[in-house]
Amino acid sequence: MVPLTFFLKVMMRPTGIVALRALPQSKMRTALRYVPPTTLIGAISYPLHHLSGNRAETVYDRKTVKSTADGIRNLFEWVTIKTIGKPRLYGALLKINKTHRGELQTAVTSFPFAVMYGSGDSTITAVYLVNGEELSKGPYTMKDLERAAWGITRLGSRESVVSVENVETGKAEISEASSAETSYAFPFKGFEVQGRGTLQSVVDWRSGIGDYSSAKRIVMFYPEDTVKVRGELRTATVGGETLVLAP
Amino acid sequence: MFLSVGVRFEANVEALNMVETAGNYSKHRRVPYLVEEDGRLKTVYVPALSGESLAHAYQEHLVREALGLGLPVCDDCRRDEFYKSMNKVHLKKKVNPIPDDPRDIEIAIVRSCVVEDVGGFLYAEKPPVRRSSAFQVSYALPVKSVALFATSEPQLHARHAQMDSSSKKGNASEQMIYYVETGTALYGFTFNLDLDAIGVSAITSEPILDEDEIKTRREAALRALFRMLSSAQFGAKLSRFFPVGGITEVAVAVTEHPFVVTSPIYDDYIARTERRLKVLEGLGENYLFAVATGEKVPEEALKEAMDYLREQGAF
Ligand SMILES: [Zn+2]
Repeated sequence: MVPLTFFLKVMMRPTGIVALRALPQSKMRTALRYVPPTTLIGAISYPLHHLSGNRAETVYDRKTVKSTADGIRNLFEWVTIKTIGKPRLYGALLKINKTHRGELQTAVTSFPFAVMYGSGDSTITAVYLVNGEELSKGPYTMKDLERAAWGITRLGSRESVVSVENVETGKAEISEASSAETSYAFPFKGFEVQGRGTLQSVVDWRSGIGDYSSAKRIVMFYPEDTVKVRGELRTATVGGETLVLAP
Repeated sequence: MFLSVGVRFEANVEALNMVETAGNYSKHRRVPYLVEEDGRLKTVYVPALSGESLAHAYQEHLVREALGLGLPVCDDCRRDEFYKSMNKVHLKKKVNPIPDDPRDIEIAIVRSCVVEDVGGFLYAEKPPVRRSSAFQVSYALPVKSVALFATSEPQLHARHAQMDSSSKKGNASEQMIYYVETGTALYGFTFNLDLDAIGVSAITSEPILDEDEIKTRREAALRALFRMLSSAQFGAKLSRFFPVGGITEVAVAVTEHPFVVTSPIYDDYIARTERRLKVLEGLGENYLFAVATGEKVPEEALKEAMDYLREQGAF
């Protein structure tokens, strides 16, 4: 029997800029080129919580402070993205002058972000594989998840506004394979890859979201177009497209 | 309720967002734009306005509208210095001694300042207290189909000084030249406002204020947006480089839960937004979509949205 799991495929158009901090502690100087999974979870967490009137963003659990997005991460087996268009990192040097209580302060800084802006139409497609068992235990339904997907407003900081252009739902087929072709980001671990793409170290969302100072990291391969992957693979087929899952 | 607005505006000879001053040359903010030429990609740089710049302008309008409705605004925000209770020094002006419980810190800040309620804050001490902004704003970027016509050109200016006889150069008129890079483009940006976030705790989800005050604050937040767009008071250097042009189109969507209009940098943004809203209707959600193109002026579309929100009891 082929195991099946619900999926959400969310196609988004950026408004041109995607500002993703590589380190949440630092507002400046570092940026990610591609959207990490933690951002995808955060992006859907906000509209999902909106449906139930939950406005909480931060959970104070004794000494640790976490994002509320942490509470929904178990709803997902896996999340990944496909990026059409080539993001460029760009950050102008800024000289800041300001007077504060009569004193002139000056500083030079830069604020890098990924620019997704060009003659072609850039799109970002996120896929969320839903953990049906966890979903049935909680307050949300599959329909809520679908509405939440339509309600994704931004990826990363508040300037990174996106509009959701299409949401597809269905059942994904999970299987094992020795090779696959994919356009979606996958964990770069023991696989042989043929094709172009970018490696990016991201926080492993499965180990928790919110406190990143000691979070586990994984290296993800973000394909440019489609790549061929060989190895002992676990794959998922979602609406005619293939994802490579974590081993 | 959630409001999302797509705005297109024409700006000729503007200096709305300047960065990278080098000597006597001040440069316009620019972003890369990839174009294909003979099968090869090349990069051209087009003028842009940052979301931070637009957000700052919106919050300045929010200060005025809030004060006009008799709502509280803290001393820092009143001066348009949006430190947002970032540390003990700034927070102490609102509550002294500072409470230990993050919930009490949030309550104190939200009660004493509409700008920090709507625009969010980050108190970066122990314990850290964070409140996301209830409004979101994108960069303003040239509309894609005509972006290659967008320009940024330096304009030469001179400042004169009369030198008197005691100066070394004698009795001659001196001048200092400087350059201001001006941009010209048809821009588009997106603005979202989550009205349900206003006056409600980002820690406990409980209302911090009574319902009447929450409604008045929502009204202030909407009026500030109306004022910002209607007066074209956003961006820098307006005193000498007030852009020639104006708002050409707006598309406003009001939904029950978050929803973002397709960015007006795409030519098909109105049709696409309409189709996407139909899907929400299929999911059982009511909405309003008001568009101002051609005949209708932006104020009329914004007023339609305000009237709808009032009917729905949002304020
Ligand atoms: Zn304030």
